Amino acid sequence: MSSAVHQVTIPIDLWEEEVEAVITTWFVSDAAEVDKGDLLAEIMAEKIQFEIVAPATGTLVIVKHQDQLIDKGDVIATITSAPD
Amino acid sequence: MPTKDRKLTVARAMAEAMSQEMRLDERVFVMGEDVGPLGGVFGNTRGLFEEFGAERVRDTPISETAFMGAAVGAAADGMRPIVELMFVDFFGVCFDAIYNLMAKNTYFSGGNVNVPAVIMTSTGGGYSDGGQHSQCLYGTFAHLPGMKVVVPSNAFDAKGMMTAAIRDNSPVIYMFHKGLQGMGWLGTEAGATVNVPEEEYTVNIGKAATVSEGEDVTIVSLGMGVHHSLHAAALLYEQGVSADVIDLRTLVPLDRDHIFNSVKKTGRLVVVDEDYQSYGVSGEIIASVVERDISILRAPPQRVAYPDIPIPFAHHMEQWALPNAEKIVRACLRATSN
Amino acid sequence: MNPTPEQKQWMYRHMLVSRIFEETIEKIYLEGKTPVFNMANGPIPGEMHLSNGQEPCAVGVCAHLNKEDVVTATHRPHHQAIAKGVDMKRMAAEIFGKETGLSGGRGGHMHLFDADVNFSCSGIVGQGLGPAVGAALSRKMQNKAGVAVSFFGEGAANQGAFHESLNLAAVWKLPVIFVIEDNAWGISVAKETATAVDRNAVRAAAYDMPGVYVPGNDPDAIFVAAGEAISRARAGEGPSLLDIETYRLAGHFMGDAEAYRPEGEKEDLLRKDPILVYEKALLASGDLSESDNSDLKECAKREVDEAIQFARESQFASPASALDHVFA
Repeated sequence: MSSAVHQVTIPIDLWEEEVEAVITTWFVSDAAEVDKGDLLAEIMAEKIQFEIVAPATGTLVIVKHQDQLIDKGDVIATITSAPD
Repeated sequence: MPTKDRKLTVARAMAEAMSQEMRLDERVFVMGEDVGPLGGVFGNTRGLFEEFGAERVRDTPISETAFMGAAVGAAADGMRPIVELMFVDFFGVCFDAIYNLMAKNTYFSGGNVNVPAVIMTSTGGGYSDGGQHSQCLYGTFAHLPGMKVVVPSNAFDAKGMMTAAIRDNSPVIYMFHKGLQGMGWLGTEAGATVNVPEEEYTVNIGKAATVSEGEDVTIVSLGMGVHHSLHAAALLYEQGVSADVIDLRTLVPLDRDHIFNSVKKTGRLVVVDEDYQSYGVSGEIIASVVERDISILRAPPQRVAYPDIPIPFAHHMEQWALPNAEKIVRACLRATSN
Repeated sequence: MNPTPEQKQWMYRHMLVSRIFEETIEKIYLEGKTPVFNMANGPIPGEMHLSNGQEPCAVGVCAHLNKEDVVTATHRPHHQAIAKGVDMKRMAAEIFGKETGLSGGRGGHMHLFDADVNFSCSGIVGQGLGPAVGAALSRKMQNKAGVAVSFFGEGAANQGAFHESLNLAAVWKLPVIFVIEDNAWGISVAKETATAVDRNAVRAAAYDMPGVYVPGNDPDAIFVAAGEAISRARAGEGPSLLDIETYRLAGHFMGDAEAYRPEGEKEDLLRKDPILVYEKALLASGDLSESDNSDLKECAKREVDEAIQFARESQFASPASALDHVFA
């Protein structure tokens, strides 16, 4: 039995231009328990804000923090699911 | 089951309160410019149009007199409108409906007609939007009888006070500061984005809150000023001065007891207000204390407020004029210097 | 009356200058605002409402105006300011917030005041009409020459101030021309969802004045309609309403993601860029030669560059001077 570690990744095609984005808000804290589908963070690229939701249920570990610059494909957090 | 740990921006908190109330009560509806598909210029009606449609989330023409007046009429007839005045600075084009009708109809009707309307409006500057898009005008609205006025400083209060405002049978002016909203393109005070329960709840209108306890000086503020005051309190603590920081949360009705009790403890009062200095909120707070018992004061009260000038566009001028933590620290040191 | 070749060149030149100005401002506006777009940052902070695409409205009308004529404008004023002859260096300096700006940095891009050419603008929708009525009243009362022009958008035609101002101007038979720049959008709200009539020109009938709809964002057509209205006013025959179809090629304000525009609309508009269309027409008719065209473009760029350089090199006023000029 082992827990699964899911990555919270910025979709590679989320915005068009080759520009960086920024994490404008983390809605949950580090080590929070999150459910699949929960709103985790909001990022802004090219003046448009995008929502990032949890791809799985488990414990969140934040990798990229608020106000940090990010790119398409970046991992901004991980979620560790409880073992079955 | 414990509530999940999750934060909201003030904008999302406002929208969540509205959506929850709209599910509970079909008389609640929203009107304003760009509140529909756009979700509000400041993000506060996000998701409402998708959930409730054009019938209950109505984009209006740029016709404030008409739709403010309409809000009054609809509210008097049993609906519960939430209307947006996009920038508080625009009140000039529709103020009769607000201060002469909405605020006075209950009185003129001897209590027979209620106007359960909520007017939500953006306030505040600091990002160079110039003299007609940066005002707070707290004093203008608080001064005129007949309307409650609330000013949330954080997302928790924002949701609870919006719910309370919608449920209140009196008209409520809900003034949200643009720098606290959580809009990425504007810059947001981080301290405003806080944990917000998912379920409905209210934050009582008319109750101030002590957000940081101290013994040496009372700092009273509202909206963005609360965050400046908290930063100042941290700086003061390093200098051995502990500040009792009060978040007014509501201007009308004003929680005078809460303010008085704090000043009774500290003996020193500093009021922080982003609105124009003269004839407004800061003077009212000070007068409230002084006229009740001047002997509790051990030093003259201080105020850190906006000078009596139109708000200048140039960044350096605007920043010079605005209240900030350094100014508050200096005022507190003056207040505690004897 | 159709524009003469000289007048066409005047209009074309001012559209060029205007567009180059806006494109330059747009680039500078984004300085300090990438990768994170925070409106408060950069050498030009705050909001920015650009007039790209709406140049014909400004030149078609202002081609008939003199220094003594009065213009009131809105939060999207640069093209009208340029066409009215506002000092571009001082205008640029004002947008940068510098001491050498039109109001020393107190007003910014939405509050440009140039008393020398009787130009002012303001940010509250619909509130420039009243002052234009007043300026016209003043000229009539003093028997002094000059007409007033109020520029505003189709959204403003739904403000009370529009209806009151037209009525008052008509009742007092004032030399004022009300000019609607109909760019079809009030931020995210489409005109057809907000305005009860298809064309605001019909509203003129409610106030007993001529109302003319000018389609096509065409400087020459606007010139003709404006010429008639302004002549009417100068002859003491009273006010008129012009309803001009135009387009804004950019968002409502810089930072506007424009998600509300239907797909393809923007690309379609860019193809119809009125400056490109006019340039083509002038070259084809011989009213403009290729070499004149390149000269004009060079001159326009130089004029804008000089204005921007002046602005960048100017100092800021002292912060405490924010206290000055509250009163006379």
